[in-house]
Amino acid sequence: MGREIGSEPLGNFYTNGKVRKRREWRGVKDTLYDYTRWLHIMGILAKFIVKPRNIKAFFRYRWMSNYLAVPMMIDRHTQGLRGPQLRIAHLQLDLVAEDVALLLDKLFRGDRRIGNDKAFSDKVVLMDENEMTAVMMGFPTLKGLSRESPSVYITVLLNQYAVCHYLDTVQEFGLPGDVCPMPAAEAGMSIDDDFPVLGACAIQCNTTCDGSLLSNGVISKRLELEDGIPCFQLAAPLRHREEDVQEYAAQEIRNAIAFIEEKTGEKWDWDYYFECAKRVNESTRHRLEWLEINKTDYPQVLGSSFALYNETNYMAVCGKMPMFVEADRKISALAEQGYRNKTKVAKEVRHRAIIWGVQSHFYFDFLVWIQNCWGILPLTDMLSMVSTRILSEDDKEQAIYDMAWLTENMIMRNRTHGGYKVLLDELWEFCEEFRADTVILWEHISCKALDGMHGQFEEKAREKGIHLIWVDHDLFDPRVISRQEIRDQVNRYMRTVFREEPLDPTLEVIHDEHSW
Amino acid sequence: MKDLKHLYYFEKLLEDANNELVRTSQAQGKKCVATACENVPEPLLNLPGTFSVRLRAPRTGSIEMATYYTTSFLCEYTRALLERAMEGGFNFTDCLIVPDGCSMLNRCAENMELLRTMPKDHFFHEYMEIPMKADDNGLALYKVQCQNHILNPLHEKFGIDISDAAIRRAVTQHNRVCDLIRQIGEYRKEEYPRITGYEFHIITMVTYAAPKDLLIEKLEETLEELKTREPDAKKPYRARVVLVGSEVDDVDVVRLIEDCGAYVCADRFCYGSFPGRDPIGLTDDEDALTQICRQYMYRGQCPRYMNQDKIQERRRYVDRLALEYRADGIIYQQVKFCDPWAYERMVGTQVLREDYHYPVLSIDRPYTTGNSGQLRTRVQAFMESVELKKLQGGVK
Repeated sequence: MGREIGSEPLGNFYTNGKVRKRREWRGVKDTLYDYTRWLHIMGILAKFIVKPRNIKAFFRYRWMSNYLAVPMMIDRHTQGLRGPQLRIAHLQLDLVAEDVALLLDKLFRGDRRIGNDKAFSDKVVLMDENEMTAVMMGFPTLKGLSRESPSVYITVLLNQYAVCHYLDTVQEFGLPGDVCPMPAAEAGMSIDDDFPVLGACAIQCNTTCDGSLLSNGVISKRLELEDGIPCFQLAAPLRHREEDVQEYAAQEIRNAIAFIEEKTGEKWDWDYYFECAKRVNESTRHRLEWLEINKTDYPQVLGSSFALYNETNYMAVCGKMPMFVEADRKISALAEQGYRNKTKVAKEVRHRAIIWGVQSHFYFDFLVWIQNCWGILPLTDMLSMVSTRILSEDDKEQAIYDMAWLTENMIMRNRTHGGYKVLLDELWEFCEEFRADTVILWEHISCKALDGMHGQFEEKAREKGIHLIWVDHDLFDPRVISRQEIRDQVNRYMRTVFREEPLDPTLEVIHDEHSW
Repeated sequence: MKDLKHLYYFEKLLEDANNELVRTSQAQGKKCVATACENVPEPLLNLPGTFSVRLRAPRTGSIEMATYYTTSFLCEYTRALLERAMEGGFNFTDCLIVPDGCSMLNRCAENMELLRTMPKDHFFHEYMEIPMKADDNGLALYKVQCQNHILNPLHEKFGIDISDAAIRRAVTQHNRVCDLIRQIGEYRKEEYPRITGYEFHIITMVTYAAPKDLLIEKLEETLEELKTREPDAKKPYRARVVLVGSEVDDVDVVRLIEDCGAYVCADRFCYGSFPGRDPIGLTDDEDALTQICRQYMYRGQCPRYMNQDKIQERRRYVDRLALEYRADGIIYQQVKFCDPWAYERMVGTQVLREDYHYPVLSIDRPYTTGNSGQLRTRVQAFMESVELKKLQGGVK
């Protein structure tokens, strides 16, 4: 027990209940820092809950109660971390938590059932959960809010069973159980009428997959035909690397902007757009710098917090919130400091891994777990390998194409669509760049785009001499494949192929099925 | 009823992707353009010097190899195609042009490319982006994609004439086939129909799977034969149904449904005649390519069209068919593991039941139905429920 990484047997904290036995002891300095961040999160929660309309929301929406588990979620993703990594993870996760609290507050303010602030609602444009919010970068007076993110996507980060009810709902309605649970849960929530209802209009997008595209139809049916909220379907081309689809994509952006202007009465503001574009560019430069550091022997910015932060920063924020760029700068400073000091992020680094595929690692502490239990460093993940294009900061025509590019290259879809090169071939290029000897391949069993390349992954990995560890899961439905079943797939590979013993044997089997 | 003269011949053609007419056309020097989705405009694949074949995997047995490459979660249609390609069943084709209609089809085609399943030296793969909304922007995309991924490659690789005049000639031939299928299909409206749903399915499907020019004569003879064909004196069905949903290229599906006492009076599915055998109207004041793309886009019933207008239109389309062909109920079906049709079937079933008041049977099915007892039981039960509703004076 102490300051050193790996000095506590982390598996012993699990009790098979919702919370762990006690907080981790990380030495005086880090424990104190971690505790102050915990207090900060409790402060965010308290500030959110004191508003009467938010309390009302806890009673109206069954998914809201999961938010009581926010502190536990952050604890989970910071397990075993010390020094710069602990601070980087907190900067990222705490900011995401703050952003989500703001989002929820705005949603309930405009929600016809809760705050019913009509003037505010008229300034809201509903956005898809997996949608790059680039088309909102030129509307400073409007709020682009996602209902699906806080109700579906984030709740499962807090409680793995959060959307099971909605999956059951949609399956009772007739949807087979073999489709991706993410859009299925969103459709179920819409059928259950459990989304906040607000907004002057909505921009839907054919985001990540066929399921996502089709689930939008279920949602827009309620939005347009029952709630009277007009929807624009932004069709982003699937073959996003092809030149001959870019004009179509750009025109979709122009049409979406025109739709928003028409429905809200607001006008596109180029000055604000370029201000946001500069922030997106700065975030991209920071992210590229972190990835460069991760290619060295002293990676610094790792884990689920990295992926989650990128997703929030690019998709939801897209340059609209200066606090994210401020956080980027602090993270870069910490990462550089860690690199200069040759700070190790794990007790022992045995393998350098790229995490690929449609991942489930947000829903439990998988990435810190492989680090703490087996000494596998997750150098980067598929969702974080998003657009690295620097946006124009002054050319209005190019800006349209940049927004189209961002929308086409939304997180996840930029890999799962666009041909096998972006999913298959580029993985091996990343392995080389990051000097990875292992790929942990999340096989989301209901993700057809990923499943369809299964054999090709196997053959190419064999050809290139890279260890490929398949990790099956069913994303939002832990009843199909549980957390321990997921871990066991890694455990088996480590023992039978690598013939290694865990760094922390208490983590090999954890009783965390009910844990927040 | 007396057997149709050419039915056995048509059935034999469907037993193999590389059928007799395909071989004849290739012997005449024509190039075989393979495709696998109704969103690829057919006349553009049937220019002078080419003919199209919509890929099927008849008599599919094991699909183990394809399952290794794509897992058991991909729809069986795409796995069966990949398996057949690996077995060499599509070696006769000269190119494959497919859209990213759905992820599974895309992965199926990509695996074929990566595994180099089609061995001809000149063989090429083209992937198309197809619009997801029917509007002017979608039309512009459709045209560019057809030009860049169908016409230009055919011209550059095989020297095919892709002029407006050539496209118009292809449309004329396409329309002749569509017209024959429409006329044959009209007989399904009769109370005592002189063609079964199964026979019609076979005849329609063969027009997707064999060169059209070589079929026209037999289709014309079949139409003539139908004009004087005597229907059975006893009503041959208990209820009339519209079959709606994902692709059905298995000859046994309609047969199984009709064996249970249903009559498939209209076919709204990929490989069916609605809207796939709608003639294409051309005027002289606009280029043929634009007109073809526009008609394919606006008439398309594919669930990947994502705007609410299109979604609602798909329900109205089924309703119109049911009214026109006097259907008593609707069977919504999908190939198992098909994501787009899973959602479409779910919502379509609910809307047609609740808003249009049709009895609806909603099923997912394997690619090859064969003698599926489970499916048979469900259709039989549906027939009973439709009959009961009719007896009790139900709404429809």
